[in-house]
Amino acid sequence: MAQAIDPIHQFQIFDIAGPFHIGGYEISFTNSNLFMGIVVLVVTGILIAASSKAALVPGRLQSIGEMWYQFIENMVKQVLGHEGKKFFPLVFSLFSFVLISNMLGMFPYFFTVTSHVIVTAALAVFVVALVVVVGISKHGLGWFKLFVPHGVPMVILPFISIIEIISFLSRPISLGLRLFGNMLAGHIVLKVFAGFVVVLGSLGFGGVIGAIAPLAMAVALTALEFLVAFLQAFVFAILTCVYLNDALHPSH
Amino acid sequence: MTSPRNDKTPESGSPKELGDLSERLKDLSGRIAVEQSQRTESQKPSASLQGATGYAKGYRLASEFVAGTLVGGLIGYGFDWLFGTLPFGLIVFLLLGFGAGILNMARAANRVPPAQERFGSNPPPKAAYDDEEED
Repeated sequence: MAQAIDPIHQFQIFDIAGPFHIGGYEISFTNSNLFMGIVVLVVTGILIAASSKAALVPGRLQSIGEMWYQFIENMVKQVLGHEGKKFFPLVFSLFSFVLISNMLGMFPYFFTVTSHVIVTAALAVFVVALVVVVGISKHGLGWFKLFVPHGVPMVILPFISIIEIISFLSRPISLGLRLFGNMLAGHIVLKVFAGFVVVLGSLGFGGVIGAIAPLAMAVALTALEFLVAFLQAFVFAILTCVYLNDALHPSH
Repeated sequence: MTSPRNDKTPESGSPKELGDLSERLKDLSGRIAVEQSQRTESQKPSASLQGATGYAKGYRLASEFVAGTLVGGLIGYGFDWLFGTLPFGLIVFLLLGFGAGILNMARAANRVPPAQERFGSNPPPKAAYDDEEED
């Protein structure tokens, strides 16, 4: 009983295929890996199924695929403009991975890949590293003018530059922490309220009456969590676009 | 819109019918154009999501601020760890990080449509940005 109600237990990582020793490192196939694989399979499966029967009048599945595609395409076009086209596959992949892992996490007994900070931080650091690489390869060292806004008096320029640099370095942290924090907190809160229902329900008639309120709360929170799962994927994708925009057009 | 539904009967005079058809066609294309322009206009700001993104924006503002301060503190602590000047680097960089967090937040709030101001005319909005940052 106690283990079923423990709200943190759902985030535990365990080995599915025991630790292999490869090149001096302990590498094992965990449940997190398993669900990452499932996420990739689900995304690929849905999109292949959606595009396999390319009808002129789309059916349900094809509509979903087209909406999915167009949603990201519009986002990339709006934020990055025409030359952002080549980043569309990246943004689409990131969005799909985050969205489907958030959504799969909503199933009971499923593991939420994005509820671990190491996963979201890796995604975020990858995005910001890509921004640096693209910026330098496109604009050379002139890209670093991003940190030196013009029209600022010399006296405070160093401070402004340092602040700009800190502001840039804080991007991977805010990007990764937000996704991780939302998923972790949402699942914990959901589990806590569901735990109230179980505990109160086992106390007899009065407990069952008392369990109505947390049950209603859990239902409402489930709906909210679905919204958050989508919104966080959306925010992750649009911020990827906004940051890539800094690499393409370092204007300030 | 001169009651196009009145002459639904196909047996009416053919020349009149033809003229009526082209009239109706013109009317229709005009209406389509109006509808389309209205739709694109209404889609641009809303994009069917702008309402829900208020929630996302709130989260974004909070996390931007926290991240800026956190990174500032971390840099300060690392600086101290390197040079053995424990309180001072932390103090200075924490304050700078605080500033960076505020800057992040202001940017996130200002840049509601991130694309538009940046594409069209670069210099004027830039000047406005810089002025705000200096204060």
